[in-house]
Amino acid sequence: MDLLYFEDFAPGEVVEYGDRTVTAEEIVAFARAFDPQPFHLDEAAARESMAGGLIASGWHSVGLAMRISCDEFFLRSAAQGSPGIESIDWLRPVRPGDRLSVRRTTLSARVSRSRSDIGIVEMRFELMNQNREVAMRQQGAVFFRRRPGGEARR
Amino acid sequence: MIGLYYEDHEVGQTAPLGAYRFTREAIVDFARQFDPQPFHLDEAAAAKSMFGGLCASGWHTVSVSMRLLVDGRYAQRAAAAARGEKPPPLGLGKGVRDLRWSAPVRPGDVIAFSLRVESMQDTRRPQWGQIDMRIVGVNQEGREVCAYTLTGLAARRPA
Repeated sequence: MDLLYFEDFAPGEVVEYGDRTVTAEEIVAFARAFDPQPFHLDEAAARESMAGGLIASGWHSVGLAMRISCDEFFLRSAAQGSPGIESIDWLRPVRPGDRLSVRRTTLSARVSRSRSDIGIVEMRFELMNQNREVAMRQQGAVFFRRRPGGEARR
Repeated sequence: MIGLYYEDHEVGQTAPLGAYRFTREAIVDFARQFDPQPFHLDEAAAAKSMFGGLCASGWHTVSVSMRLLVDGRYAQRAAAAARGEKPPPLGLGKGVRDLRWSAPVRPGDVIAFSLRVESMQDTRRPQWGQIDMRIVGVNQEGREVCAYTLTGLAARRPA
């Protein structure tokens, strides 16, 4: 299988993918492990909180965007991790039954100064619900290997 | 220890959040669910990657820091309740800035997390204040593995 390399991510490109319904069980399971606050754990307690009902941990929404993106393209790419993320904004809650998709925008791409075989691609990931409202927006860098011998596939 | 209300915070305050040992099992379990890239799942594939060996998803590392932060707050809330005080309402997180993963987290690594209050500001709602805190994770060799600035709301103490 031919992998996606650095050369395959063109600045300005916008793609949308994924269709994942998140369940209350998943929300609670993530919260038990990583963010055990009442509005992520229990519907009744959540109704009385600022959240107004059960909502996913913000870190769960980030993890879901990552998983949807892995299934769409990271796992068939030459990605080599990330040095960091400029920003994450939790704009709207993710609730049980929400159908999630991701909009990915390629912002910039440059070859690493220290490693000529690696490129750095700046990407924005927006996790959207079934109403196309953005629940989480994240922007950061991803390392990709450069295609051996080099040109973009397209 | 920093109190639970907005007014209990002060720019420059620091607090330890505790430490967590990342087992191979936990690293692989998180990766299977949220970040199944080969260098988080499989030693042989990871050896061929830029990481040179299996390492935790960066999202796993930050999720663990959240758990430690929440556990600390809940210990304080329980202590307040035991004193007969009503703990403040819980604020939600707004976002993160300047998240850096500066070194990989390997199986067996013990990461100690801490926080520092970076800035505080009023919000449009009088009952909530906004706090930026820098959260940093350091491994058993004293090397920073991750750092980020978390912005969240904290309840103001009733007058």
